[in-house]
Amino acid sequence: MKKYLLLVLLLVGIRGMAQEVGLRPRRAWYLPDHLKLQFAGNIGFLSGGPGYVSRNKTLETDLLFGFLPQKYGGDALVTTTLKTTYSPWRIGLRDSYYIRPFSIGAYMSYTFGPQFDTKWPSYYPAGYYWWATAIRPGAYIGGKAGRNVVLNNRRRSFELYYELGTYDLLIISYVQNKSFLKLNDIVSLSLGVKFGFD
Amino acid sequence: MRVTRIIHPIINKLKNMLRWPRLGLSLGLAFLLTSCDDLFQYNPNEETLLDRDKDLTAKNIAKISQLPVSDTTRFILMGDSQRWYDECEEFVRSANQQRDISFVLHAGDISDFGLTQEFKWVNEIMTRLKYPYVTVIGNHDIVANGSATYRKMFGPLNYSFAFGHDRFVFVNTNSREYAFDGSVPDIAWLKAQLANNPAHLNTIVVGHVPPFDADFDKNLEKPYTETLAGAPNVKFTLYGHQHRFYEGQFYDDGVNYHLTTSMGARGYMVVSTWKGGYSVERVNF
Repeated sequence: MKKYLLLVLLLVGIRGMAQEVGLRPRRAWYLPDHLKLQFAGNIGFLSGGPGYVSRNKTLETDLLFGFLPQKYGGDALVTTTLKTTYSPWRIGLRDSYYIRPFSIGAYMSYTFGPQFDTKWPSYYPAGYYWWATAIRPGAYIGGKAGRNVVLNNRRRSFELYYELGTYDLLIISYVQNKSFLKLNDIVSLSLGVKFGFD
Repeated sequence: MRVTRIIHPIINKLKNMLRWPRLGLSLGLAFLLTSCDDLFQYNPNEETLLDRDKDLTAKNIAKISQLPVSDTTRFILMGDSQRWYDECEEFVRSANQQRDISFVLHAGDISDFGLTQEFKWVNEIMTRLKYPYVTVIGNHDIVANGSATYRKMFGPLNYSFAFGHDRFVFVNTNSREYAFDGSVPDIAWLKAQLANNPAHLNTIVVGHVPPFDADFDKNLEKPYTETLAGAPNVKFTLYGHQHRFYEGQFYDDGVNYHLTTSMGARGYMVVSTWKGGYSVERVNF
C-alpha cells in the first residue's frame, strides 16, 4: 500500500515538475482564464468575451457580448450575457486531447433597446405584464472536446462546445401546451470555441 | 524525393481518415439545417420569418376575395390565443366542423410575449383551418419587438377590406401600449375609412380592446364611439381582450358591442350578416 502511495506521489510530482519546466509562472489572478466565441444560443448571432474557471476546471463563468446583425435577425440587437457552465467529468484521450461529455449551465441575458424594459413604465398597473422583456434567463445542457497545447512556451487549450438551450418564456409555453409543442420546438442549438490560458 | 515518399502516404492516409467523418458531418449538418429551420436561435426578439410567413393579411384577403358571395356571410370571431396553443388547436377542430363559414377573424393577442416564435406557432395552427384568417393586433402583440414582427408577418396595424355586402375595418385600439399618447386608436383614419363607403356596405369595425376597457384611451373613448355611431352603416362592432363573452348597446347609440372570449376559455362566436341584419351565436368547444 505504502509502495503504491509512494509511486502515486512520485508520478504526481513528476507531472507537477513537467508542468513547471520551461513554462511561465501563473498570470495575475484578475486576468481572465479564457476567451469564448459562440454562435447562436439566443444571446446573439455571434457572442464573445472573457471568462473564469474554477481551480478544478469544472465550473466556468463567462461574460459574453453578443451581436445580431439585422441581416440575420430582422432587427439589429446587442446583448450582454452572464453564463455559468458546470462540466463535472473529464475524459483524457491520447495526445492531450480530452472530452467533457456533459455540461449543464444557466445564463441571464440583457438585450439593449428602447423597446425592451427591465421595469415596466408607470402607465402600466403593477403586475400588468409579469416578465421583463430586456432580461432573459435561460438554461442549457451540452458537452465539449478540447486539447491542451503549448504555444510560445505557454500552456493553452482549445475547446469546441455545443449547447442545447431554452429560456423561461419558452419553458412556460411548453409546460402549458404539451400537446402542440414538442421539446424540439423550444430547444435550440449553439456552438462555440474556447481558448484557454491555463 | 525521399521526403515526398514519406509525406505522400501520410497525406493519403489523412485524406482517407477525413473523407468518411466529413461526409457524415456534412450529411448530419444538412439534415439538421433542413429538418428544422429554428435549429439556431439568435435572440428571443429576433424577427426572422420565412417568405411564406410574411404579408399574411394581404395573402389571406386575396384568398377571401376569391370566395363565392351569397346573401348571408358567415364568419367566425375568435381571439386571445396567447399561450393557449393546445386550446387553439381544439378551436381549429371545432371551427372546421361549422357550416358555410367564409373566414375567421382573430381579435388579437395572437401572442403572449410578442415573440416571433409565438406568432409562428399560432399561424401554424390557424393555417389548419379550412378557411383563411385575418387578424387585428392585440396589446400583447405590441410588447417588445411584437408590433414590428406583426407588421412583417401580417401587415399594417390599421386596414380594411370588403367582402360581399360587408366592409371590415380593423383598428389598433391598444392605447396603453402607446402610453395613452392620443395616437391610438387613430380616430382620423377611422373616420376616413367609415366616410369612404360609396356602396353603403355594412361596416364592421374590429378591434382588440373595447372602448369601455381601462386599456383604451379615456380621452378617445367618446370620439371613438361617436365616430362609430355617426356612421350610418355601422350596426355592430367586435372585440376580444376581456376573455369573456360580453355584449350590449353600451352607449345607447344604436351600435352593438360584442366581445368574444379567449382560447383559454374555449369559446368563439359565429357571426352571420346580411343586408339589414346580423346574428351572433356563441360556441363553446
